[in-house]
Amino acid sequence: MQDYREFIDEILVDESTVEKRVRELGYQISNDYAGQDLLVVCLLRGGLTFTADLTRFITIYHELDCMSLSSYGTGHYASSGNVRVNLDLMTNIEGRNVLLVEDIVDSGRTLAHVLMMLKTRDPKSVKVCVLLDKKMRREVPVEVDYVGFDVPDKYIFGYGIDIDEHFRHLPFIGSADLSKYKKPEK
Amino acid sequence: MQDYHDILAEVLIDEVSLKKRVKELADEINRDYAGQQVLLICILRGALPFMVDLMRNLSIQNAIDCMAISSYGQGKRESTGNVRMTLDLQTNIEGKNVILVEDIVDSGHTIAHVLELLRTRKPKTLKVCTLLDKSSRREVEVPIDYRGFSIANKFVFGYGLDLDEYYRNLPFVGVVDLERYISSQN
Repeated sequence: MQDYREFIDEILVDESTVEKRVRELGYQISNDYAGQDLLVVCLLRGGLTFTADLTRFITIYHELDCMSLSSYGTGHYASSGNVRVNLDLMTNIEGRNVLLVEDIVDSGRTLAHVLMMLKTRDPKSVKVCVLLDKKMRREVPVEVDYVGFDVPDKYIFGYGIDIDEHFRHLPFIGSADLSKYKKPEK
Repeated sequence: MQDYHDILAEVLIDEVSLKKRVKELADEINRDYAGQQVLLICILRGALPFMVDLMRNLSIQNAIDCMAISSYGQGKRESTGNVRMTLDLQTNIEGKNVILVEDIVDSGHTIAHVLELLRTRKPKTLKVCTLLDKSSRREVEVPIDYRGFSIANKFVFGYGLDLDEYYRNLPFVGVVDLERYISSQN
C-alpha cells in the first residue's frame, strides 16, 4: 500500500478549514430548522465522517438514519442509471424534515434519483447537504442546499472519501495525481 | 424535543476523556497491526461517531465498512434470538484483519451472533472493539479485544447512543435520569 504522500497532487482543503466550514454548516442548519423536527440521513459510506462531525455542530435535536446505495450500472454509483437501495431508512419520513448528507456531488444522478424516491414518501421537506460540490461534472440539475466547498474536477480523497477503499481517515481533502498512484494488489 | 439537561442524571464520560481514550485505543490498534491493514466494521447506527473518530486516529492502512443488524425478536436488538442482517458488508473479508466496532456490548447476544457469522467467511483475524462494556449484563461470553470504558448497568446516551433515536450527537456519554424521562413522556 502506497503512502499518500507519493501520489498527492495538492491539499485542496486543510484540516482546520474543513473543521471550520463543517461547524458553520452545522450552525446554519441549526438556525434554518430552529424549532422544527429534523432527520439527518447519512449516505454511506462516504458521508460517514462528514455526518459524524456535522451532527456534532447541529445544536437542535435531531434523529439520524443511514442509507446505502449502489447503481445498477457499472461499478461506481455516481454513474448513470437507476439507483439500488442496499439499506433503506429505518425511519418513516412522511411529514418529516429530511436532510440528506453526502460527501460529494458530481454528475448529480444518484442524488437526483434518491430525491425522487424519497419524495414519493411525502416528507415535509427534503434538503441536501454536501461537503464537496464538483459542479463541472453536473449532468442533471440537482438542488444542493448546503455546500461545504466547490472543488475542481480532480480525483479526491480524504475526510471520508476513499481511493480504492483507502485513505478515508486522512483529516484533509486532497487531490491525487493518478499518474503516480498505484492500485493496491488484491 | 426536550433539552438533554432535563433528563441527564450525570455525565458519565466527558468529551475530553472520550477523545483521549479513543486515541489510546487507536494507538493500541496501530501497534498491534503495525505493517498490516485493518478493516473496521461499523455496526450501524450507534457506533458511527466512535468508528469515525477511531479511524481518524489510525496511522496504519485501513478501510471501513458498515453492517446494519436487527433481531428477529421483538424490536430491541439486544434481545436473545437470531440476528437479521439488514445491510451486509460490501467487502469480502476473507484473509483480512477485521475489527468489529460497537458502541456498547451488554448481553452480548448480537455481537456473538455477528462474530459467528463473520467467522464463516474466514477472515485472517477478527477482533472486537467496543466503546462501552456493560459487563454486568453479559449473558453470553464475548471476547473483547479493545475496550473503551467499563460501565455500570445504567441507561446511557450520547456519542452515538440514542434515547428514542435522539441525542446521538451529544459529545459525551451521559446517564439518563429515567424517572424524569419517563414522567416527561406522559
